[in-house]
Amino acid sequence: MTKPPRRPTAFRIDELTKLDPAYEPGIGAPPALSSEPDELAESEADGADAQATPPRQSRRWSQLLAAAVSGLIVLAVGLAVDNLIEGLFSRSSILGWLGIVLAGLAGVALLALAIREIVGLLRIRRIADIHQRAAAAATADDREEARAVTRALIALYDRRPEMARSRTELGRHVREIIDGRDLIELAETGLLIPLDEAARRTILASAKRVAMVTTISPRALVDLVFVGAEIIRLVRRLATLYGGRPGTLGFLKLTRAAIGHLAVTGGLAMGDSLVSQLLGHGLASRLSAKLGEGVVNGLLTARVGIAAIELCRPLPFLTGQPPRLADVMSELTRLSRVGKDA
Amino acid sequence: MQLASIADEARLALATFAERAVGIVAPSLRLGVTGLARAGKTVFITALVHNLIHGGRLPLFKAYSSGRITGAALEPQPDDDVPRFDYEQHVRDLVDERVWPDSTRRISELRLAIRYESATFLNRSLGRGLLNLDIVDYPGEWLLDLPLLGKDYVTWSGEALAFARAPARQGLAAPWLARAAAARAEAREDEAVARELAALFTAYLTACRANDHIATEPPGRFLMPGDLAGSPALTFAPLENAGGNPASSLGAMMARRYEAYKDAVVRPFFRDHFARLDRQIVLVDALEALNAGPAALGDLEAALASILASFRVGRAGWLTGLIARRIDRILFAATKADHLHHGDHDRLEAILAKVVERAITQAKFAGAQVEVLALASVRATREGTVTQHGERLPSIIGTPLPGESLDGRVYDGAGEIAMFPGDLPEEAETVFSRQAETSLRFLRFRPPKLEQTAEGLSLSLPHIRLDRALEFLIGDWLA
Repeated sequence: MTKPPRRPTAFRIDELTKLDPAYEPGIGAPPALSSEPDELAESEADGADAQATPPRQSRRWSQLLAAAVSGLIVLAVGLAVDNLIEGLFSRSSILGWLGIVLAGLAGVALLALAIREIVGLLRIRRIADIHQRAAAAATADDREEARAVTRALIALYDRRPEMARSRTELGRHVREIIDGRDLIELAETGLLIPLDEAARRTILASAKRVAMVTTISPRALVDLVFVGAEIIRLVRRLATLYGGRPGTLGFLKLTRAAIGHLAVTGGLAMGDSLVSQLLGHGLASRLSAKLGEGVVNGLLTARVGIAAIELCRPLPFLTGQPPRLADVMSELTRLSRVGKDA
Repeated sequence: MQLASIADEARLALATFAERAVGIVAPSLRLGVTGLARAGKTVFITALVHNLIHGGRLPLFKAYSSGRITGAALEPQPDDDVPRFDYEQHVRDLVDERVWPDSTRRISELRLAIRYESATFLNRSLGRGLLNLDIVDYPGEWLLDLPLLGKDYVTWSGEALAFARAPARQGLAAPWLARAAAARAEAREDEAVARELAALFTAYLTACRANDHIATEPPGRFLMPGDLAGSPALTFAPLENAGGNPASSLGAMMARRYEAYKDAVVRPFFRDHFARLDRQIVLVDALEALNAGPAALGDLEAALASILASFRVGRAGWLTGLIARRIDRILFAATKADHLHHGDHDRLEAILAKVVERAITQAKFAGAQVEVLALASVRATREGTVTQHGERLPSIIGTPLPGESLDGRVYDGAGEIAMFPGDLPEEAETVFSRQAETSLRFLRFRPPKLEQTAEGLSLSLPHIRLDRALEFLIGDWLA
């Protein structure tokens, strides 16, 4: 920086002009004051808020194909509806009007659905954005960025009445002088640790259910369908827990990401060793082949759930612990031991 | 460095062993609050106790914020021959009168008993859930004496004369230096000469302190003699050609008294308070030194390095830990961080890290954990942004102490001001060089007016990073 150091200055507070007349100086509140008598004198651009846009992905032919085909389908549907209404009018004008009203209602409903989906997608993007910024701010111990992230997080959970107190408390911390990483840890402890506990219980319950059903189901196909359904349910519940309603498209996106995440992290998820999984599996399968299968399916569900937490959680794990497969494992083997004894 | 005699060491080992034995039922932790005069030791201790007793805002002190501390109370201290720290009076000063406590004139001690529940099952069932925190407050001037333990009279004389002849102090030291040059060390001992030299030397030390605002030159007890005023142990001064003088010469008398000073004043102080610490916080008023210029900062650096060399830093094993206390965590805190906008705190920390660099390296080498913080035990200001000529000045808002002045304007201690103290340099090294003394000015502010709840209860003292300091210093004992 080549900027020359600025000279120290002091102003009597009653000689300054408040740019915001409603402002009352309080601890930590950033007042805006000006030494010039004119309230409009402040004219400076704050370039700090400008954010780098992520690089655009190159368009692929498949995307073009999808766009063209969906355009054709929309045209076909429109044409069909138009033909239908014309046909209805040729029979009777009452039927025709009824058709128009129904088509209009369908259009409104479709629009509402689309808006909901878009809101859901934006929410997911917002969470991903908060996550990324929080991780960066914690690493760099950046006070201002951490403050912005924490404010965004408070806004994200604005509609949760049960978090009212933690939100207020955190709001007070934001106004104090606390270092970047510390502030994000406080946000995590205040807002997300209770959610983590709920998420852990959800995963455990799902895994147990899957293990149980697999053990007692007569056919492999039943297992498959049930595991699929349970995973869908689990991801949706986790997403709702951490970030509100994700919507169908958002949910699909999340599930895809969760499974992709799983593929990347592979068997060594969350610091658990593959050994313990295999050992556990061995132990379970020695008890009974069917029980062992149940345990494996339960573990699979839990792993998808843990991957989904990583994706839905607005902050990285700093002080908190992600649920570990070992916990699920011990719970499941206990279950199978009970099953064996029964 | 051998600072304590063998007898002292044995006594220390016995005392430590006895304390450890008692500590099995009620562990005690000795926190050393170290800092030169006016670094903010008394305010730090008061704020720490006040926040723990009154349940302040301490989100980063985990044992407290997670609700495991059930209470803290002042208890009778273990050492019966040391006055109690006058906590109540200091709180009254800060909260009701809104003045900073007077500078400390004597040593005092207090014990804070913290009741808590451990987070681990084993400690919860085995431990008592009680930690006694012993804190000692003392005049910062006395601290300057600790390096004397490792020096004899000849070495000290040489260093003191060289220090006085530095260009920055030559004017202040002139009367004493002139008289000292006339005195001959090999002349016959003469009480009148000794008294005269000591008086001039004391006057020079006092002038140095008034000039720099920071006392950096031993012996500290000359500035604050207390009961010992006029005794032979305080009637000596450095001399030229101090070594190799015949018995009953002036030089020999001075050397004898210097040793008496070490035995009567410095060694008991070191043995009773500094050789027995578990944790240490070093408070440094870096802003005052920045105000005074690069030379003062250099003096501060040298003074701190020599003081910190006399502490017993390092990790004690479980067996050696029974008979020896070692400081295993040191926190360096730049105090009065509230006199600066928070955007500059990182730079303040960098400057402090630079000032205490030698001490940090030593401590880390010995195996101790070290952290550097910008701290305000009591936060006297709020923050705001003032725009002037299209430029945003990150400012602090508070009431300056009466008599503080900036740009020819003297404040009366009544009205609030918004103040921009100047930008701290981005490169910490530059504060030591001459060019840096341009555009920094820190005023001193009055303690804050406390907010009151609807019921009229006053809330705890506001602070900056006091909770983080606590977490580092005692957090692991409450885990």
